[in-house]
Amino acid sequence: MSKTLLEQTKAVVQKAQKLGAQGVSASLGRSRNSRVEWRDGKLDRLRESTSMSVGITLYVDGRHSSNASSDLRPEVLDRFLEETVAMTRVLAKDPHRKLPDPGRFKDRFEGDLKIYDQAGSAAVTAVWRRKTAEDLEAAARSGPRADQIISVTSSCSDTASESAKVTSNGMEGSRRSSTFVLYTETSVKDEGDRKPEGWHYAVTRHRGKLPGVEKIGGEATRRAFLDVGAKPEKSGRYDCIIENRMAGRLLRGLLSPLNGQLIQQKRSFLADKQGQEVVGKILSIDDDPLLVEGLGSRTYDGEGMSLKKMPVFEKGVLRTFYLDTYYASKLGMEPTTGGQSNLVFSTGDLDLDGLLKVMGKGILVTGFSGGNSNSATGDFSIGIRGQWIEGGKIVRPVAEMNLAGNHLEFWKKLVELGGDPNPYSSWRTPSLRFEKVQFSGLS
Amino acid sequence: MNKGMNRRDFLRAVGTGAVVVSVPVLISGCTSKVLNPDTQAGAHGTYFDQFGVDTGLIRRTLEKGLSRGGDFSEVFLQHKIGHRVGMEDGEVNRAHTAVDLGAGIRVLKGDATGFAYCEELTEAALLAAAETAAAVADANAGARPQPLAAVLVENRYTVEVPWTDVGIDKKLPIIKRADAKARGRDRRIIKVAIDFADTTSRILVANSEGLLVEDDQPLALLKVICVAQDQGNTEVAFQAGSSRDGLRFFSDQTVDRVAHEAADYTTTLFDAVAAPVGELPVVMAAGVSGILLHEAMGHGFEADFNRKGISIYAGQIGNKIAPEFVSIYDDGTNERLRGSINIDDEGTAGQRTALVEKGILRSYMHDRISAKHYKTRSTGSGRRQSFRYPPVPRMRNTYMINGPHKPEEIIKSVKKGLYTEMFANGQVMIGAGDFTFFLRQGRMIEDGKLTHVVKDANLVGSGPKVLEAVTMVGDDMWMYSGGSRCGKDGQSVPVSFGLPTIKVGAISIGGRRS
Repeated sequence: MSKTLLEQTKAVVQKAQKLGAQGVSASLGRSRNSRVEWRDGKLDRLRESTSMSVGITLYVDGRHSSNASSDLRPEVLDRFLEETVAMTRVLAKDPHRKLPDPGRFKDRFEGDLKIYDQAGSAAVTAVWRRKTAEDLEAAARSGPRADQIISVTSSCSDTASESAKVTSNGMEGSRRSSTFVLYTETSVKDEGDRKPEGWHYAVTRHRGKLPGVEKIGGEATRRAFLDVGAKPEKSGRYDCIIENRMAGRLLRGLLSPLNGQLIQQKRSFLADKQGQEVVGKILSIDDDPLLVEGLGSRTYDGEGMSLKKMPVFEKGVLRTFYLDTYYASKLGMEPTTGGQSNLVFSTGDLDLDGLLKVMGKGILVTGFSGGNSNSATGDFSIGIRGQWIEGGKIVRPVAEMNLAGNHLEFWKKLVELGGDPNPYSSWRTPSLRFEKVQFSGLS
Repeated sequence: MNKGMNRRDFLRAVGTGAVVVSVPVLISGCTSKVLNPDTQAGAHGTYFDQFGVDTGLIRRTLEKGLSRGGDFSEVFLQHKIGHRVGMEDGEVNRAHTAVDLGAGIRVLKGDATGFAYCEELTEAALLAAAETAAAVADANAGARPQPLAAVLVENRYTVEVPWTDVGIDKKLPIIKRADAKARGRDRRIIKVAIDFADTTSRILVANSEGLLVEDDQPLALLKVICVAQDQGNTEVAFQAGSSRDGLRFFSDQTVDRVAHEAADYTTTLFDAVAAPVGELPVVMAAGVSGILLHEAMGHGFEADFNRKGISIYAGQIGNKIAPEFVSIYDDGTNERLRGSINIDDEGTAGQRTALVEKGILRSYMHDRISAKHYKTRSTGSGRRQSFRYPPVPRMRNTYMINGPHKPEEIIKSVKKGLYTEMFANGQVMIGAGDFTFFLRQGRMIEDGKLTHVVKDANLVGSGPKVLEAVTMVGDDMWMYSGGSRCGKDGQSVPVSFGLPTIKVGAISIGGRRS
């Protein structure tokens, strides 16, 4: 099947070349997704799809365009190529637009990343999905205070995808992958009209690696009850721990300015920080595309360049920007890769409870809301909810507060990493402990 | 051509809309084989006839959807052509064309939804998708769909020339003008990036109750991003202008306004100090501050959250939730705004829905499922990102109407507070009612006067409490239509919002200046 996809992709490239494109990069993708959503004892939504699309990047007479279509009827695809090649000719020339150097296609990892569960995908049935979703709800309702639950929504879904990529200067690749997802959300009663929600999820490459339903359903309900009665605390500088599964939301503001476009367009506060210590010495982050069963694992990137592990931060020092061929050329630098794969973090020894004990007093951040980060200055401000901690224990829930800072200062206040990297994300973030950061709440 | 198609039919059916130069140029002698799909439904059928989907096939698909005993089946066809052209570093050197074609088939059984989509409009693919969706019910036989009767709806966004006929040649002068105007505004502007995007989405909705209706939805956007440097500091900001309109929307006046505002927002940030920390009374400037309505209340008024009992506003219809001078509407009928729709994505006619009138919660926003649950009529709020998604209740253009106060007197009434002028994004916790929105730019109010500029702070509050605490409403409402999108249920749809100047009680400001 993959061979057919690869052959089709090659045919697209050849066709575009015939129409006058000197350089062509094409990707064909096909995926199948099924999902059952269960709510309060009943089937709520059943969703299934099979989809296929083509993406084509064209280099015509020194000009460039990128195009996509889900209308793959042969005669339409031909016409689509004709029109997009013609359209590209109208644009301004850009000497930096070119396919990656063929040398970048070499030394691709050939081993098995174990990101496709062929047997698991083939064995999934509609009955299993429905039963699993139902079991998730039962797990969510199995604990104490079940009469305080307003609603439980759960879902079970799986996706199997395959894609092929071909460039006119010699790159060919194809891959298959699968994901399996469990999700539960519980709403519970609170004072007045408030109805706090708790949620939990798992996503894996292999069906057999999904945790038991109680770990997801039960956890969603536990989290909902933890938020009952949440109120803001007084504004102040407090120690805090950011829970592993939410840490990525804050990290985005630090990591997205490593993107080549933002650097070249002078919208990145990290543009002149390569080789400098930007975050706390205890933090190292690797981009590891070859992580076995990783949710971001891949052997080649969107341009077809072969990937390998690279340090992003090494003991606090910024090592690598994310540069695709275009922005690397504009910056006069060597391309790395344009997008993140898996991020693997340095970790500590303690689990979340252990970190809470070390912190003693402060805020455990369990959720973020809204917020943003200024890529040019590094200033950020983000809504939080979580728990007030005293004596290393949860005392009361907090909400309607903000956490604010500047990334260049904030990450130097990172004093400890947990030993609990989140397995259900391509960013395997551990819980993070900070000292004295700015929260705003009540005056 | 195959299957007896004539050339014109063939061209219509395969046209991708990647028009290089505009049609009038072609007529004057260009020989390039530039194509565009037919823009209107023909006299003998629907727009989708050209893809081989006639009413007979639609009916067979609907019937297959009901074959397991579903109460209702629906076919949603979509052909969407999008173009983007971009300028960076002074050159229009990037373009993107996207063609999307497919069908979403939905079957309802009670409150439950079966949904499947396909990207081929063949009989085999449509019937297979219908069979999948039909599995939401489990009987052996089903009812037959009603005969289809085409409905015509009022068109609020006709365009003189559809975007599929507008070549890059017509867009280049707009992009270049915006670039020049932004650069020329202030010598500190060092980079300007422009994004010009247009989409043409043709949809058809047919259902087992006999409805057959089509709509042709244009949407265009000009976005100008500026980077400025001054004494070693860098600031970035953008402005966008967007409308369900054709090329004429981009008048010199509109282009200049968007470019100048982008430049001004950027350079004003050099004067800004960090926002304060803690609770302060907030005056929200008219227009873009309408994001308050969207986040703090709007989502809570969407009927699906209430049907499930999980919204903080569940069971509150008829209750007083705001002061007398507060009235809030969600409206699909505004002229050419991003959230305007002739029909929603279930085929219900666009309309204006009173959510709050004189402080009383009057209605939720309903789609078909929630309307049935509440034994009321759909408010035309069933929207979806594309044929790949089932519809859910969504906002369109959300606004508060004018109140009794003057903007100046509102500002004057505040001893110490924050005046909000520009926002980036927001979010709400539906059940707890906590909302946030991110202030890009505002001003402090001291002794009733606007003073220094502040920037980059998240604002957080409780939606119901803020609504109760609206103490003054100005008479200067305007609608912001600068490229806003709303995300829910994993789906994104274009929206707009508006507000007169209002004063609300204390909101917690997540600044850095303690």
